[in-house]
Amino acid sequence: MGSTLFPGILQRLLADEGDPLTARAAQFPPKAKRVIFLFMTGGVSHVDTFDPKPALFRDHGKELHLDHPEIKDRPGYEHIYLKRPQWEFSQHGQSGTEVSTLFPHLAGCVDDIALIRSMHTSHSNHYNATLGMHTGSFTQSRPSIGSWVSYGLGAPNRNLPSFVVLAPAQTYAGTQVYASDFLPGAHQGTLVVPGANPVANITPRVSGDRQALELNALLALNADHLAARQDEAMLKARLRSFETAFGMQMSVPEVFDFSRESDATLASYGLQRGQTTGFGWQCLAARRLAERDVRFIELIDTGSSGNWDSHGDMMDHVRLAQNVDQPIAALLKDLGQRGMLEDTLVVWTTEFGRTPFNNTADAKGREHHPWAFSSWLAGAGVKPGIVHGATDEHGLRAVEQPVHVHDFHATILQLMGFDHEQLTYRHAGRDYRLTDVEGRVVNALLA
Amino acid sequence: MRLILLLSALLVPAIGRAKSGGMTLAEGKGWWSFQSIAAPPLPVLKEAAEAVGVDAFIAAKLESKGLAAAPAAERRALMRRVTYDLIGLPPTYAEVEAFLRDEAPGAFSRVVERLLASPQYGEHWGRHWLDVVRYADTAGETADMPLPHMWRYRNWVFDALNRDLPYDEFVRLQLAGDILRSGAPGAAYTEGVVATGYLALARRFGFDTDKDIHLMHEDVIDNTGKTFLGLTISCARCHDHKYDPVTARDYYALYGIFASTRFSYSGCEKQRQPRDLVPLLSQVEAADLRRPWLEKRAGTTHRLEEIAAESAKAQGTVLNGVQSSLHLLAAADVNDGGSVSFGEGKKESLEHITLKKGELLHLAILPLGSHGADTTRVEWEIIENGGMGRRWSVSDLIPALMSGNPHPGTATAPAQWVFMDWRNGPGFLSEKVEVVNGLKELQAWRNGDTPSVIVNASDQPVQAWTTLPPRAFFMHPGPNIVVGLEWVSPLDGEVSVTGRITDAHPGGPDGVGFRLEHIAAPEAGPALVSLAKLNTEQVQLTRQRDADAGPEPMVPVAFAVTEGEARNYRLQERGDPEKPGEEVPRHWLTVLGGDPVPPGAGSGRRELAEWIVRSPLSTRVIVNRLWQWHFGEGLVRTPSDFGSRGELPSHPELLEWLCAQFDGQGRSLKALHRLILASAAYQRSSAPNAEQGLQDADHRWLSHFPRRRLAAEEIRDSLLMVGGNLDLTPGTAHPFPPEQTWNFSQHAPFSAVYDNEKRTVYQMVQRQRRHPFLALFDGADPNAGTAARQLTTAPTQALYFLNDPFFHAQAQRIVTRFPDVSTRLGQIHQVLFQRDPTSRDQARADDFLAQYPGTDEERWSAWVRVLLASNEFLHLD
Repeated sequence: MGSTLFPGILQRLLADEGDPLTARAAQFPPKAKRVIFLFMTGGVSHVDTFDPKPALFRDHGKELHLDHPEIKDRPGYEHIYLKRPQWEFSQHGQSGTEVSTLFPHLAGCVDDIALIRSMHTSHSNHYNATLGMHTGSFTQSRPSIGSWVSYGLGAPNRNLPSFVVLAPAQTYAGTQVYASDFLPGAHQGTLVVPGANPVANITPRVSGDRQALELNALLALNADHLAARQDEAMLKARLRSFETAFGMQMSVPEVFDFSRESDATLASYGLQRGQTTGFGWQCLAARRLAERDVRFIELIDTGSSGNWDSHGDMMDHVRLAQNVDQPIAALLKDLGQRGMLEDTLVVWTTEFGRTPFNNTADAKGREHHPWAFSSWLAGAGVKPGIVHGATDEHGLRAVEQPVHVHDFHATILQLMGFDHEQLTYRHAGRDYRLTDVEGRVVNALLA
Repeated sequence: MRLILLLSALLVPAIGRAKSGGMTLAEGKGWWSFQSIAAPPLPVLKEAAEAVGVDAFIAAKLESKGLAAAPAAERRALMRRVTYDLIGLPPTYAEVEAFLRDEAPGAFSRVVERLLASPQYGEHWGRHWLDVVRYADTAGETADMPLPHMWRYRNWVFDALNRDLPYDEFVRLQLAGDILRSGAPGAAYTEGVVATGYLALARRFGFDTDKDIHLMHEDVIDNTGKTFLGLTISCARCHDHKYDPVTARDYYALYGIFASTRFSYSGCEKQRQPRDLVPLLSQVEAADLRRPWLEKRAGTTHRLEEIAAESAKAQGTVLNGVQSSLHLLAAADVNDGGSVSFGEGKKESLEHITLKKGELLHLAILPLGSHGADTTRVEWEIIENGGMGRRWSVSDLIPALMSGNPHPGTATAPAQWVFMDWRNGPGFLSEKVEVVNGLKELQAWRNGDTPSVIVNASDQPVQAWTTLPPRAFFMHPGPNIVVGLEWVSPLDGEVSVTGRITDAHPGGPDGVGFRLEHIAAPEAGPALVSLAKLNTEQVQLTRQRDADAGPEPMVPVAFAVTEGEARNYRLQERGDPEKPGEEVPRHWLTVLGGDPVPPGAGSGRRELAEWIVRSPLSTRVIVNRLWQWHFGEGLVRTPSDFGSRGELPSHPELLEWLCAQFDGQGRSLKALHRLILASAAYQRSSAPNAEQGLQDADHRWLSHFPRRRLAAEEIRDSLLMVGGNLDLTPGTAHPFPPEQTWNFSQHAPFSAVYDNEKRTVYQMVQRQRRHPFLALFDGADPNAGTAARQLTTAPTQALYFLNDPFFHAQAQRIVTRFPDVSTRLGQIHQVLFQRDPTSRDQARADDFLAQYPGTDEERWSAWVRVLLASNEFLHLD
């Protein structure tokens, strides 16, 4: 994109040297140019959504004996009983993938999806599991997956950040989930909070004419300053940042201005005209960011309270599923219709699953379950309409082709054109990577 | 030195081939950074023969590279450079002008001395230290609990640097100040304890921090290794270090030292209450602190003790009566919204109750189940059979409930009525409430919200938490608390009783129960009445005493460490605390000597501190850090890694020479500053010629001085300073909510920004949620040591300079600071850039002001914003 300010001076002054966001080629030709990462906060129950377990319906109320320290040493878990799912499953699409009645709209998209029923993770605590799903680290803060992708590929559109996070509230572990940590700060996620003013300091405080006068004066002052200082790269980069910021003031509100979207499109996302909140808003904003070549777009559905963490009553899942089901299905269809699903990778996940059992036979809720959960991929380079891996008959453990969070990350990087072992950053005397010392690409998921 | 260089030359390629098994002990002992320090001779120079000290070594390198040095910086640029460098604030115009005029020798060193003596020096250089030790005001576990006492450590660092505490003592106190200063007089002891805040600052992990304590110890070992020694010791947690001569046994030897230490407990989701905070006063001092307070209370304390003794006696009489002579007259449960008469719950005759004077009729209202139950309407009438046929009723109490507890009844129907809280035996409703819930119609006696007795004294229904009927008497039990109403018989004779209990708050949802009892012990009534009066006196006295003596003086505490149970710990196989291996005796790193912690030495922290400060690594690392904080890059460009994965020094002899000087000058940091700042290298221009720009682009050879952007703190402090509203008083504690209100969790972690106009080092730093301004401008990482700030340039920063409200407000302040338009531009330039405007500056301003629409103030504010966003304001040459 050309400069909207002082093009003559800027083109002369601003070479690409030393700019961490310069668009770069991947290691090998990528399948996906960008990622839309849908994160469901709190732990979505797999056995009530994407992982049908007839035996769990059948064996409801049966006592379960698990010889595992996480169970047998846990106070209150002296006796545990299987708990049946509260929603029925049926087959959908050409692929016949089974989805529960919690996701009626998404059920219509199964032919686009590679569903993973054998996910597992390394921690049963929200904070740690959420950090792990975002950074590959379950304890220390590390760069987010979005930061790694931004670091690897840069930003093709300099009027927008490379990594955008749309979230109505902070999820577990706070800003760490989208922090660049030791990677250069330009790769940190830019937070967009749904509402009238989605990005900090994006709204000009003076009119466009006045601001153009100020910026032109600033550029002229800085150009003088730069000329006396041998065109130093750091000073140049700062000039350019004002150009980008100036552009962002136009392009960011433009991204979030849905006035030119058709009634049909708005309706498909479940949006009223003028609405600026809700997951439908986040999904449509994601499509618009994707159209503008933002590299990594993360959507977080809820904050660290009032989320999928249904200890008290699984019926809470109804409200949470309704919040996201139609918008996500609309996003997939919308991307498909625009031909964007070919080079956009859509990821849907959560931090862990929920226990197929509880400590009383009539418990209404389910607890945290890191041993098994479901996630899915769709779009660029993903084998559509498949189910990968399986849990045991009660959904307790991922038994067939288990996919750990590290494997999940390795596969996403692969689709982005990177060998996860090669995308490294030297920090504190060590080469760090998203997958730490683990991770293997799940080739069965790739088209 | 020759030997060292030779060895490093040998070792470099080997590292390139990534010796995956780590060094052998012998290789390790030969590694350059582990060698003892020996001052090298000054190099012999071909051209720059006049260069001495630091400059001789720099000149030697430049000569060997065939590079010339840039000329000296202009004095104005140098003044800005050194002022920001030493105190983190801009110089004043007057200071710059004075320096320009000072032609006498030593002008620059006079500036340096003034700055080193400024209290702002400690704040700015202390912040460098806080970066390395990952300072934060929260713990970092899942709920990110506040650390309300951590600021004492922060301020101690500033103070220690201001008084130039020798570096070895600075290190010793942070690792073992509590031990080293135990038994020392007041301030010296306090300092020792507060300094160990360095250790207590460790990140906490998990939902239950005790369960993840091995991660906290790893964080301690990691930070201790990197901060003081430039060693990545924590790499040896799961296996021997892959590159450096540190074994897993070494790691668990140190682990034992820290695990034998008691760390202040931050609180966490599992156990929210902090504990093991370290008092900063000795027992004697704490007693002195409390004495005046105790003395003010002494007079009343005596009477209160008497009351307690009399009360105990009266209580015994009452309880005895209750236990020996109780007759149940009526009892029933009342369903939610229901109503039961005494007659319906009758257990004995209610028409013929024979009483002696002083005996009690006792009505108890009980919560059903575990609930606090409901507002319960009580109607109760007692009629004398025969005699005078007197009548007593709770309705007598409605017009003047506040008459007392015990309540004397009315003139026509005198009798002692007592309102009671039976949670711990006979207790009383002590709190007199004349306006309940803001409704003047309602009066109550209560203890907290419940239990209570309440009346609606008006002749209208009152809408409170539910509709309360007019002229009605209510009792309200508490959760598991029975509320009681006692009538003390004023007669010897026979009475009959009628009454009704109604759940007055339908949908409550549980209903209540009641019991009507006769306590046939004549001594119980008088005892109860005297007990109630004693209680009233006690409540009044206590209130008076607390008002007179003021709040209890709190003994100040630090978030710090003390000695714990000293013992060895076991190695953890693959870093897993569930897989204990062999016990490892506590000892020093093998490659540095491996001395054991002597028996009876306690945890071994005192010994560890001594081993560290005696290690040549500790000198090399701090000297290099100081160099880095002056020049932007260290002589070793991996300031927290002097192991084989780190870089080798660019000027090894210079580093050795500086280290020898440092050790020889009592490890004075200020002396080292003087040595470095006096060098021509520091005072050079930042404008390289073409060759320097090409051959020395990354300033490795220091042919010219590196230009830099202001750091986050410097930007905010400068904006405040030029706006005239920087508050230079040091910060103290943050306004955290009181500890007893903490209910933070991972679902709702602690989160706050406490703004003020103090220097940015006094902003509250949170681990889980980064301070928005500090995050935007590359502030330090509060979760892991920041050896060097990464300075990024991002469009979101530019948005700050375009649209941030604080930025706009500061620009406006500057305009209003200088009301005279004719001199305004000059004054603004003097404050922002410490120079007068040039004719070009004047022309640009005139141009802008002429073109820009709006009021005078709008035009000038806009121009000031342009200047504040300019590279000249935000960068140092």
